[in-house]
Amino acid sequence: MRWAIDLGESFQIALSALRANRARGALTTLGIIIGIVAVVLTMTAANGLQNKFRQTFSAVGADVIYVSRMPWIIMNDFFLYRNRPHIELRQADLLEQKLRGRAIVNPQVGGSHDLKYRSETMDGVTIIGTTEKQILVTSTQPESGRFIMASDVSHKTGVCVIGTDVRKGLFGTENPVNKKIKIGWNVFRVVGVMEKQGGSFLGGPNFDRQVYVPITSYVKAFGGARGHLDVDVAIKAPTQEAVGELEFEVIGEMRKIRSLRPSERDDFSINKLDTLTGTFNRMMGVVLLVGLIVTSISLFVGGVGVMNIMFVSVTERTREIGIRKAIGAKRRSILFQFLFESCAICLMGGVIGIVLAVILTAVINAVLMPASVSLPILALAVSVSVLVGTVAGFVPAYKGAKLDPIEALRYE
Amino acid sequence: MMVETPPPTDAALCLRDVTKTYVLGADKVHALRGISLDIARNEYVAIMGPSGSGKSTLMHVIGCLDVPTSGSYWLESQMVAKMSESQLAEIRNRRIGFVFQTFNLIPRANIFHNVELPLVYGGMRKSERRALAETAIERVGLAERMRHKPNELSGGQRQRVAIARALVYNPSIILADEPTGNLDSKTGDEIMALFDELHAAGQTVILVTHEEYIAGHALREIRLRDGAIESDVMTRGQRRV
Repeated sequence: MRWAIDLGESFQIALSALRANRARGALTTLGIIIGIVAVVLTMTAANGLQNKFRQTFSAVGADVIYVSRMPWIIMNDFFLYRNRPHIELRQADLLEQKLRGRAIVNPQVGGSHDLKYRSETMDGVTIIGTTEKQILVTSTQPESGRFIMASDVSHKTGVCVIGTDVRKGLFGTENPVNKKIKIGWNVFRVVGVMEKQGGSFLGGPNFDRQVYVPITSYVKAFGGARGHLDVDVAIKAPTQEAVGELEFEVIGEMRKIRSLRPSERDDFSINKLDTLTGTFNRMMGVVLLVGLIVTSISLFVGGVGVMNIMFVSVTERTREIGIRKAIGAKRRSILFQFLFESCAICLMGGVIGIVLAVILTAVINAVLMPASVSLPILALAVSVSVLVGTVAGFVPAYKGAKLDPIEALRYE
Repeated sequence: MMVETPPPTDAALCLRDVTKTYVLGADKVHALRGISLDIARNEYVAIMGPSGSGKSTLMHVIGCLDVPTSGSYWLESQMVAKMSESQLAEIRNRRIGFVFQTFNLIPRANIFHNVELPLVYGGMRKSERRALAETAIERVGLAERMRHKPNELSGGQRQRVAIARALVYNPSIILADEPTGNLDSKTGDEIMALFDELHAAGQTVILVTHEEYIAGHALREIRLRDGAIESDVMTRGQRRV
């Protein structure tokens, strides 16, 4: 209890000291403000990225392996994969036979084509030829109408299921089901609309700007010269744990199907959500690192500023420290008095920083990606402020506490 | 190993062979050389001496702002010389009431807060502090100025506040260092009258001064020269006109 009364006094002194020197306090906190803004923005950006990632790629599925000609993420090594032979539908069928009963195999073909409905057009839309197993492999469902059925595949019917961005672009608010659109030169009837998937993740494929058609219909419509269709095979494992073994098996079978000799490398790629996650984590790592550096530098600068001001504050109040000690203040009371003052300065900067960061986050949320300042982030910002205040203020406060009262009383 | 003679039990303070030496550059300065004295309760003492006599150092030692290099110091039967800084702070808080020449009030706080400050550092609750502080302020006749700040008061009033602060915890001794040094003679007289009253009411008062006139209020004069006691006489407390 005694302790608390002491703290109360220290707190009051700190507040009155701040009030007395508002301009000085405000300037000092500039570094802190920037540092706190950096901390909060970094955390909200990281959070936002994660949410966006999960949202966009929720369709990919952690228990799915994709066999493709190219890896999903190609940096500068495109030339390595350029000469790979395409995966053919025939090979996909063979794979499906080998894995029947143990995994769901869904071959896909794709290409970019132009769409037209009455007077509306959309250019360069990704058209994906797939089977009825598509919705089993991914976890997406149509939000209206139906998906492609096995009979569509076997009869090569001209039906299609469109993404939400396509619906918006071609139909506006009209109900697209049972209407006919043109894909390239071919007429297809819309039988369903896919649920919204969250647009494009930082420049990647836009999963809402796609159209699904039966794979056989695609080949019939756009097949053209044989062997130029790029087939991807999606394989869904029965359980997430089985994916590892399945991957081995798939690689083995594919190598056999494509007649690869043991010494030859794979001429196809296995793509998984893991791959994306890996790249994403690297991206996150960069964001966090940059944020951390900016934060550290500005907090350091801010902290030095606070330490400076605290030295001035202690010197200014040398006489007062002597008086307080003479009437019975212990060293730790003086220490707390000044620590409170430096923490108060930093908290003030922290609050301003938080307010600024909240505003900036709202802007980011509106423009780039879903972002919000959550309670743990706020708590982090406050803790960081207090920490900087304590660390920056410690040396000056300690010096003040150790002053000899006799010397201090003589100070003019 | 010196045998410590036990202090007289009715003493307010008791010094035995106290020395204080400090190092100044390459030299040693012997500020106090073997001071021994007893001051009983309710005594009215003036400590006098020219500059360099060690009277300031003696005051600092008595006031527990400094520790002797050797010797013993009992303050109301408590052996003070060997205490830690933290314990000394407690002694200064409860047992000693300082009054300085330059008043030494906290400028940004009001009178009430200045006077209650020792109680705050002593860990007393707000409600209890209020009663004691108000009593002390009334005692020095400044009740209607309680919420004013020091810069709104005259020199004499400020010194009264300092005295109220010194009294608030009912200390063993009041230690006043040139209390009228910054006041005009009329105000100085008023302040000395206040000290006289406090002594009459039972307080132990120790003045440190070089003014004969001020020392004349006390009932005992201790003169220092070169760090040692030159004379220690009971006077009759004559007030010089």
